[in-house]
Amino acid sequence: MRIFLQGFVCLSVLLPISDMLAWQAPVLISPKISVDLIAETNASTTNETNATSLKKPVRSSKQETIDHAGRDLRHVEESVRSGAARLLGKYPSPASAAYLTFALDDRIARVRRAAIVSLSELYLNGFYIYEKPLVEKILSKLGDPDVEVRREVSALVPRLSTGLFRSSFEVVEINGRRVARAKPTILRPDLQEIARKAFFDPDAIVRQNILKYHYVLRLPLSAQVLDRLLSDSDLGVLLTALDRVPSSTPSETVVRRVEKLSHHPDVGVRKKVVSVARDSNRRHPGYRAILRKMTMDEEPAVLSMAAVELARLGEKVDSKVIQAVGDYLLGVAGASTQVMTILYAVSAFGEEATKIYSELTEHTSSKIRTIAWQRLLTFDNGWGRPSVWLPALIDRDKTVRRAIVANLNARSRNFDLKTMEQLVASDFVDVRTFAANSLYTARQDAAEEVAFDLLIDEDTGVRAQTIRALASRRTPGWLKIMSNSLLDEEYVIKRAALDGLLGDPAQGIKALRKFVSEHPADPITSLALAELKSRGITQ
Amino acid sequence: MRLTLYLLIALTGSFGLPALQAVPPARDAIRIVQLLRSDNVLRRYPDALPSLLRHMNKETTARFDTDPLFIQSLEDEQLLQNPILYINCDEQPNLEFSDGEKQALREYLERGGFLYLDAGIKASFLGSDLGHSYAAWEERPEVKELFANVFPEKVFVPLQRDHELFRSFYKGLPDNKDLKIQSNQKKLPETVLTFVEREKWPQGTYSFVGLRVKERIAVLASPICAMGWGKDEFGSWIPPISFRIRESSEGFDEKLKLASFKGGTYEVKREDGLNDILYSEPGQRPLWVQEPTGKWRIFKYYSGEEISNFAHAFYTRIGANVLMFALTN
Repeated sequence: MRIFLQGFVCLSVLLPISDMLAWQAPVLISPKISVDLIAETNASTTNETNATSLKKPVRSSKQETIDHAGRDLRHVEESVRSGAARLLGKYPSPASAAYLTFALDDRIARVRRAAIVSLSELYLNGFYIYEKPLVEKILSKLGDPDVEVRREVSALVPRLSTGLFRSSFEVVEINGRRVARAKPTILRPDLQEIARKAFFDPDAIVRQNILKYHYVLRLPLSAQVLDRLLSDSDLGVLLTALDRVPSSTPSETVVRRVEKLSHHPDVGVRKKVVSVARDSNRRHPGYRAILRKMTMDEEPAVLSMAAVELARLGEKVDSKVIQAVGDYLLGVAGASTQVMTILYAVSAFGEEATKIYSELTEHTSSKIRTIAWQRLLTFDNGWGRPSVWLPALIDRDKTVRRAIVANLNARSRNFDLKTMEQLVASDFVDVRTFAANSLYTARQDAAEEVAFDLLIDEDTGVRAQTIRALASRRTPGWLKIMSNSLLDEEYVIKRAALDGLLGDPAQGIKALRKFVSEHPADPITSLALAELKSRGITQ
Repeated sequence: MRLTLYLLIALTGSFGLPALQAVPPARDAIRIVQLLRSDNVLRRYPDALPSLLRHMNKETTARFDTDPLFIQSLEDEQLLQNPILYINCDEQPNLEFSDGEKQALREYLERGGFLYLDAGIKASFLGSDLGHSYAAWEERPEVKELFANVFPEKVFVPLQRDHELFRSFYKGLPDNKDLKIQSNQKKLPETVLTFVEREKWPQGTYSFVGLRVKERIAVLASPICAMGWGKDEFGSWIPPISFRIRESSEGFDEKLKLASFKGGTYEVKREDGLNDILYSEPGQRPLWVQEPTGKWRIFKYYSGEEISNFAHAFYTRIGANVLMFALTN
């Protein structure tokens, strides 16, 4: 009764009493609420630019439109009231917010729905309501008899917090002295009760929303409530309730409930249980026991998630389980987020991970093959052993080869002849380009042996890269190769040879000067002359 | 020839190193090629296509490789080896293609390839606001320009609501069972459901335009659908989706003509070929629409779990229909 009175007094501040008693009575804004009237400047007759044949209407101002819609909210026709409620959502202003809030008390559900959707639109357009009585009124509609209104209000909860919990102070008298002190930022008891009841709303969407946002309302989630929601028949509610477990107070009841859920028929729920057990394992030993049991799950994805999480926590995992994880990864059709998590986490199995990664290099998914190769090569210094990484360059997918080559460029040096021969014989241009790049650091004998094959490669890029590498190494006969390459048909080859010669101030420049004098009409000659001139050399 | 092969194998063995020859794929899964100009662009819904392909593998007998094959250019040789090309137009830095790419695209489509241009329809009022799906009935200007060069003699044609595409695997709108909610649960707010069933997606259809090459539809374009395909590892839909609904009320035809408005208007082509005029103010979602019938309706925006779940279920069904159509067309 007292709560009712408090609410009544609060509302009466905002509306005349006569208005509160009649549902569709005139909606007036109390002088206690500050409403900035908008200057009458935007009665638009301009700027409707793009409508080719639209006759420009004489429009009312924003304030006039809002006031008119406000008056329509007390019209006897329901459709006029709902239309007015819809229109007000287009005009973010304190007046619109006030009108719409009071339309939430309309006796017709359709009008209330239109009002709450428009209020939601105001928030979506960045307009926040700061008047606490209005926001409290909106929140109280969590108890509305209409499910659509309750759904909208529950979804709006995160946005209501600004108005509900703004800091404020009150003046109290202590021992005859007036003292200003901060007001506690808690929810009104009657609203707390309404919000608490929403945890068990008949509608699953409302339950899910309030479970998601209860913390915004500073509403504690007790173990009893959580336990009840963890047995909800709706999957959405159940998954949201599981989300709340790691941040709730550890309790035996909840652990037992989560343990029961580890046998839930829905795979998504069981996966969520693994995730929850992982996140909560430091807070209660029961969660690690759940993880252990879940390594026996009939669904390979769940089993694998549980196994890698246990391994990450430092537990020894049975070799049969590890084998099952490998089989699962081999069987997946592609690399989802979950598969990638497991794939990376396989490293936690230690030595046994090598076998899994080795098998996965044959997987159909290029993403999985890439990671498998990278992980496999990291184990036991695989990057340093061509016999281990060469098979990766057979991969049919360029992305896999490119990833491996990128790592090899940074880590591998001094390739021997056999390795270089394998690279040069590749079907793939990118691998042969890598071979040409490797000439810089390959062993002398290997570089000399394969250089000719690369110089006659069908791909211009490979040939150009080879010329650059040979110029850098100054292998015997390099001057001859450069001079001949200056006569190549491809400009990119000529340019590579020119750069190579310019890099050697003694013999290279000499050979270049000879070339330009012998071939004054060659396309590269003008560029060569310019380069020589920039170095202070004239013919 | 066989002798040469044996010799080759023997020689390879003698070196103790594997020969660097290409090996065929282990399985015959269909691989979708996806154009991604650069790894550095902001991906629009990276989980979308893999999620849709997983859905296809689960719900149909088709077998897709759930990892799309990304190419940076339409001249990539791998394009010709795969039957379906997917381009999310919102994900591209621009929709400019070189002459070589246009030629490669023409060749691809003439040789039986299929192209799905997601976000190939984009209403002008959306501007650079990505992530909005709006049922316009013509391809976006960049797509029109591209195909004016690829197939100068052909034009995109809107697909009728009774087109086989909308029945190629799924038919109709998702029901409570499809949505995995209890049979007595309200799947959508009343006004939303009415609008969706009658106007937005009647019988599970949507705005699509198609371009025919050699007597078959080789290119399909639609408003962005990928935003509705993504699922996280626990099977929940990502990201949340809202609805834009047209609502009318008594007196709107007069009131909206006179209501305060200080923005711009945009024309958007409708299914019947006429134009809607949209009223939009800067910084706000579009306010209302003047329809060619003289009717004025207001746009209302609905969000929430039930809205998002329904939209995801619908877009996934549409995506599945597109892939199935591509395979059977």
